[in-house]
Amino acid sequence: MSPRRALVFLSLVGIAIAAEFLLEKLIPDTAWRQLAMFAMVNVVVALSLNVINGMAGQFSIGHAGFVGVGAYTAAVVSGHLHNMLKTEDATFANSFIVMPVSILAAAAMAALFGLLVGLPSLRLKGDYLAIVTMGFAEIFRLVLATASPTAEPGTFSHWVSRLGGQQGYAGPDDKGIVQYAGPFWIVGGMLFAIVVSWRLKFSGWGRALRALREDEIAASAVGVDPTKYKVTSFVIAAIGGGVAGALLAGMRDGNPTVQPEQFTFMYSFDIVTMVILGGSGSVSGAVFGGIFVTVTVRLIEQLQRLDSVQDFRIAHPDFDLNALRMVVYAGVLIVVMILRPAGLFGENEIIKPKPGRDVPPPTKRGASAKSVSKTGDGKPSEAVA
Amino acid sequence: MSAALSIKNLSKRFGGLKAVSDVTFDVPEKSIFGLIGPNGAGKTTVFNLVTGVYDFEGEILFGRRSVSGMRPSDIAHAGIARTFQNIRLFGGMTVLENVLIAAESSRKAHLFAALLRTPLFFRDEIAMRDKALRLLEVFKLEDMADEEATSLSYGNQRRLEIARAMMLDPKLLLLDEPAAGMNYGEAEGLKEQIRWLREEFSITVVLVEHNMQVVMGVCEDIHVLDHGETIAHGTPEVVKKHPKVLAAYLGEEEVDEAEAAEVLAASEKAATEKAS
Repeated sequence: MSPRRALVFLSLVGIAIAAEFLLEKLIPDTAWRQLAMFAMVNVVVALSLNVINGMAGQFSIGHAGFVGVGAYTAAVVSGHLHNMLKTEDATFANSFIVMPVSILAAAAMAALFGLLVGLPSLRLKGDYLAIVTMGFAEIFRLVLATASPTAEPGTFSHWVSRLGGQQGYAGPDDKGIVQYAGPFWIVGGMLFAIVVSWRLKFSGWGRALRALREDEIAASAVGVDPTKYKVTSFVIAAIGGGVAGALLAGMRDGNPTVQPEQFTFMYSFDIVTMVILGGSGSVSGAVFGGIFVTVTVRLIEQLQRLDSVQDFRIAHPDFDLNALRMVVYAGVLIVVMILRPAGLFGENEIIKPKPGRDVPPPTKRGASAKSVSKTGDGKPSEAVA
Repeated sequence: MSAALSIKNLSKRFGGLKAVSDVTFDVPEKSIFGLIGPNGAGKTTVFNLVTGVYDFEGEILFGRRSVSGMRPSDIAHAGIARTFQNIRLFGGMTVLENVLIAAESSRKAHLFAALLRTPLFFRDEIAMRDKALRLLEVFKLEDMADEEATSLSYGNQRRLEIARAMMLDPKLLLLDEPAAGMNYGEAEGLKEQIRWLREEFSITVVLVEHNMQVVMGVCEDIHVLDHGETIAHGTPEVVKKHPKVLAAYLGEEEVDEAEAAEVLAASEKAATEKAS
């Protein structure tokens, strides 16, 4: 590891640790702190969807399903782990035992579902992925929501009802999910997701995805296997969603449950909006989109709680304010899409990667043409500069 | 001489249309082989079948290996590279990036190396870049390495497509109308380049081409298709005078079989005399 990269790594860890102790002082208000943390989780969600919708150019509209899979998995795992630790409070030290395990479990489960959904639908061309992902997310949510403890024991519904059904899951003893995902994990998770996305984009992998998006026939004619790249990208996206779910499950202060209603189609749609608004394929765009959409949606909700708005609602009962919320939201989207059709950032980034850092430098020219020709193993004969 | 590519009883049907029917030919190792025929003869379809774009009836052997059921990417990785009739470069990507894509399937550093940015990843990237730049130099495109591929002139785009194909380290190169849109001088240059490619990289070249100046000038063996069927096969001298070829190209209505055989025998004789 070069000194520069070590420095970057240490400063990212430093930021995450500082966040753990300083976020409470920076944002004293609990509601706003929750909003900030939710926004950061949504950045992870948007970054992960950006891999498949932006970089790979596919269209998945059921990402909430993967976030949900991750959230429920992490909730179950962290709950049981907490019981095994036999401590009352979720201490910062213990979070280093609970969080890695539950994040890994969530990621593995999401990857499994990602593979199940992606493998059949990405082999086909066209919009199958959109339909299948939407179906997956809705099935996931409805299976959980409709599971009933009064169903016959031994049936699937009865078994799933241990996850709380419509009321949501509140840990193994119904006392609420222990909140281990403190600011360190949320901020750290977001920074980690940014670094992974960046490296994915500026690597041969990202280049191959761009080529596939441009011309699938030409790309496969030069050895890029479309199915492999698409399915792997989809699984990476699902894993990202699962990790975000694990963070989400552990940060809901005051309402420590995971509920099916968190993972509706509306949430999937919000995630797609984050990616498209920021600019498909742009890491900076997904970060911006994640924050912007979260804050905007919440701000509109906050506005509705204002006394004057409540008075207005009472005075005009026919006027559906919830619908108005969507009108405002849609209006913002339309304006952005007219002014910046490719999203705010397009496919660009705030900072360009410099050759020699994220992207290896172009090597000096002037090597002899002859050296390209085959030397037994078909590789260039010259040693790497 | 062993065959680099051997095609046996190859047929392909698109609905009611027989695009290729019962075509058989061998491409000798390290040869320059021409596949010609009037428009709609099924030449490009043969290329598409060889590179796995469609499934087919019959047999296609690349060396000793059947390509049947292989995916296009695997066929490319196995050593068959191609260019396209209507140039298919990756727009929005630079010249260098276009060439680098073709190294993706053979790279040693995979996804995790890329995510961890291991030393292997950098070594791999630098080695790929080195090789790509040298190829660009070979094709006189090195000064445009960082330009957007689709902004290049037509001739340069064609050369870039060949450079990209060569990045695969192919054993067999399929060129689909490389001379399309070229003037006399450019076509002469292309002939030289094709010969040079074969020598330099010791590969087998198959080209589909309408430009007779190029085909007759560079190919050692020519296979002629019309309406998906084989109508002639042989050296340029034989094919040039073959009555069915003349009929197919010039549109003669009746071909006198006896006369055809006579002409053919004469030209074959001439060819063998010339060879000896």
